[in-house]
Parts: sequence; C-alpha cells; structure tokens
Amino acid sequence: MIHLLDITKEFPPKTLALQNINLHIEPGEFVSIVGLSGSGKTTIVRLLIAEITSTKGQLVIGGWDITKIKSNQIPCLRRQIGVVFQDFKLIHKKTVFENVAFALQVAGSPTSRIKTIVPQVLDIVDLKDKAYRYPAQLSGGEKQRVAIARALIHRPKVLLADEPTGNLDALNSKGIIDLLLKINEFGTTVVLVTHDKDIVNSLKKRVVTLDGGRISQDQRVGKYLI
Amino acid sequence: MFLYSIGRSFMFALQSFGRNIWLSIATIFIIFLAFVSINFLVLINGISQSAIAAVQDKVDISVYIKTDVSESKIMEMKNHLSSMAEIKNIVYKSPELNLKEFQERHASDEKIQETLKELNNNPLGATLIVKAKELTDYPNVLKSLDNPAYSDLIEEKNFEDHSAAIDRINTIADNVKRGCLAVSIMFAIIAILIVFNTVRIAIFTHQNEIAIMKLVGAGNWFVRSPFIIESVLTGVIGCAIALALVYPLVSFVQPQLSSFFGDMNFNLISYFNANLIKIIGFELLGIIVVNIISSSLAIGKYLNV
Repeated sequence: MIHLLDITKEFPPKTLALQNINLHIEPGEFVSIVGLSGSGKTTIVRLLIAEITSTKGQLVIGGWDITKIKSNQIPCLRRQIGVVFQDFKLIHKKTVFENVAFALQVAGSPTSRIKTIVPQVLDIVDLKDKAYRYPAQLSGGEKQRVAIARALIHRPKVLLADEPTGNLDALNSKGIIDLLLKINEFGTTVVLVTHDKDIVNSLKKRVVTLDGGRISQDQRVGKYLI
Repeated sequence: MFLYSIGRSFMFALQSFGRNIWLSIATIFIIFLAFVSINFLVLINGISQSAIAAVQDKVDISVYIKTDVSESKIMEMKNHLSSMAEIKNIVYKSPELNLKEFQERHASDEKIQETLKELNNNPLGATLIVKAKELTDYPNVLKSLDNPAYSDLIEEKNFEDHSAAIDRINTIADNVKRGCLAVSIMFAIIAILIVFNTVRIAIFTHQNEIAIMKLVGAGNWFVRSPFIIESVLTGVIGCAIALALVYPLVSFVQPQLSSFFGDMNFNLISYFNANLIKIIGFELLGIIVVNIISSSLAIGKYLNV
C-alpha cells in the first residue's frame, strides 16, 4: 500500500528530518508511528500528503509513485488519503454537516450525493444528531470525530492521523482510537502518528519508532519503548 | 461536476464578497471613480467629434455663375460635377431665388432696395453650392472648376475654409483628452493596486479555509477561482454604477451643451445611444481583463496551491 524507499528529507540549511527511511505498510494495516518531538513523524505525514517532497528516495502509495508528483495531481492524491490533525482543522462558520460536506463540495460532487453520503458518514462517527451544530458547540472529541468524518468522506484507502488525540482527555482519546480501529476493521489502512505511550501500548498493533529521523524499531506487535 | 464546481466557486466568491463588505465597497468606489473619468473621456470624444462634424458640415464651395449663362449650360456643369466621386451634393440656386434672398437679407437697407428697383434686370446670376464628401476632397473640386470649359462661366468662387476652426477644436479636444487619459490611467493604476490588495486580504482572511480546501483535495483552479470571480464582480459593479450614472449626467448636461453649441444640432444622448453597446462592451471587457490580471498576480504571489 505505502512504500517509502530510502527516503531522506533535508530542510535548509542543513537539517536532516528523515534519513534513509525504508518503510512498507500493507493494505488494511494499522501502524503507529511513534517518536519524540522532532523525530520526523510529522515529516512522514507531510510527505504522504505531498505537502513536501523528499530530497532523496522513492515514495509509492497504492502503486502510484508520488516522489515527483505534479501540483495538479495533488488534489487527486488527497482525495484518496484521509487526514486528521491534532488541531482538527474545522471551519468555525460551518456546521458539522457543512464541514463534512465541504470536502465533497470542493471535489465537485452533486448536491444530491452530498445529501446522501454526509449523514451516512456522520452515522459512522456517531454525530448524526449533532449535524447542525457548530464546532464551538462540540467537545474536543466530537470535533475530532467531525474531522475523521470529513477524512472518510471520499472513502479513502489510507487514513493518516497526525496526533489525533493530542488535544483530548483520556476518555475522548479512547473514543477516537476506538473509532480509528473500527475504520481499520472496514479495510482502511490507518497510519497513526502519536507520542501517546498509553494509546500505543494498548493497541497491540504494529509500531514504527523514529529516532533522530531514522527508524530505530519496527515491531509487528509493538510497544512504545522510548 | 464541472457545473457544480463553477456554481460553488461563485458561491464562495459571493461569501467572501459579503464577509469583506467594507473592503468590497472601497474597491467598487475606486473602480467607479476610474470609470467616471473614463466616461468623461468618452463624452469629450463625443463632443469634439460632433463639433468637428458640425464645422465640417458648414464647409462648401459657392460657385457664382455669370448672369448671361443659360440654365442648360449651368445644368451641364452641375451634372459634370455630380459625376465626380468626391462630390456629396450640389444645390442649384436660380438667379430669381438669389435675388429674393438678397432682398430679404437687406430688407432694412433702403439704398440697396432703391438701387434694385432702378435696375431693370436681375443683377445676380445663378449659384451652385458644392459640398464635397471629405475636407481633403475640396482641392480636387476646385481644380475641376478651373477647367476652361467651365471657368468662363464662373464669375467667382467662394471657398470658406474652416480648417483653422477644425484644428482649434482638435487641439482643445486633444488637450482635454490627454488630461482625462492621465486621470483615467491614474485611477486605473489605483484600481489595479486596490484589487490586488483586496484579493491579498481575502486570501489572508480565508487562510484557514484555503488550507482545509487543499487538505480535502480541492483542485488548484477551485481554490483560485473564487478570488478571481470576486475581483471581477467588484469591477463589474463599479463599472455598472458608473455607466448607470452617465445617462442622468448626460441628460442634465445636454440642455447646457445645446445652448452652447447653438445651431450645431448637437445631441450627446444620441451619441451615447448610438455607441452604447460599444461603450458598455469595451468598459466591461476592460475591467474584467484588468481585474483578472490583477487578482491573478495577487494569487500567484500570496496563494500557495
């Protein structure tokens, strides 16, 4: 599904964020990428959504070599990869429904399709009854579930979650992780980037540990050992 | 899908227009001022064109025929002149008509009236009033009148050359046009800068939304187009308001112009009506092109897609 082949990313003037990363993620896997701040976790996410390009190496997603992706191909890639962030990235002037629908609107989907799909996705994240609330009227966990619903709207094969529980309390964090596991059970590959030790240890899934821009450990059923 | 995208681009543009309403109004006002000066330029052009046409219309050659020339000879000469490509029209005035007009013109002059009574014959000959199509055609017409076959029939030729007056009108009009053009260019530059700045502020205002749009897979064109549409919208509104104000302004000015130009039968409203489609078309096209360029520059500089 995702292949990072000898990926190196250098930021000017001479900061090596990633060094010779080789990582293969199979379809339907649930992988946690862990590490301390500055270890290169978010750089991998930014590479996967083509926000930045690698200095060296090859990056292939679903058979598509995106190493030298053209700018007009990026929207197509992003519709195939769902992303959620720590800060939710919701539009405050839009309701829950509108925030989720926004992803379909910008992709040119017909209104009738939006009206059908959005309630279905809101049902998956258990927010159907709060469809017409604004983000300010939601808890942190609910906001993150809106972000997940939006990320799922294009039915992506890969869901990237960059510190999705970073702003949440333990209870809400568990809710979000349970949701990610549920999405993974439906067949979506989930890449969870986090530094939350408890969450990673409770998952009993594959753990890739980054340290100083290098992969220090890659365990099939791993633990957060740093 | 394409139609949905266009529709949503318009919707986002209108939302942005509404959210930055004061900025939009300021932009519209500057564009309006630019078009007021441009329309003033158009008015000056209309006035000068009409004035020149009126003066040109007064230019003719009066050919005074000797009294002893028969009417058939005069008609032969008239037919010959009419066959020339340069001739617009020729009016024949008989000796009787000339005498009548002369008497009327000098009705209050007793001496002239008495002298005419004492003369048994009509002292005046016939006249041909020759109008050429263009001012530049008159030398050719005069040359053909010098033809020996006709020159013996002619008592006198009177060519009133109004080229000095036309030059003067042209000079005044050119100076006013230059002034208006300078003001128009100045307003156009200000409008471009304002549109550029409006788009820049709109981009900053929507930074969060733009980032989310890109994140969820909006195409580059979809991210850019609302800003271009918004700038075109402000331009078209500014232009439309200026055009809408031109008519009442022209109607207000028309009586003053009519009295100033006297018998020139000058009508600015007719000029505007005759050129309405051209004026609206050029002005709208102009502001659309200018705003697309200006907003594209701002997008290129401040919007990373």
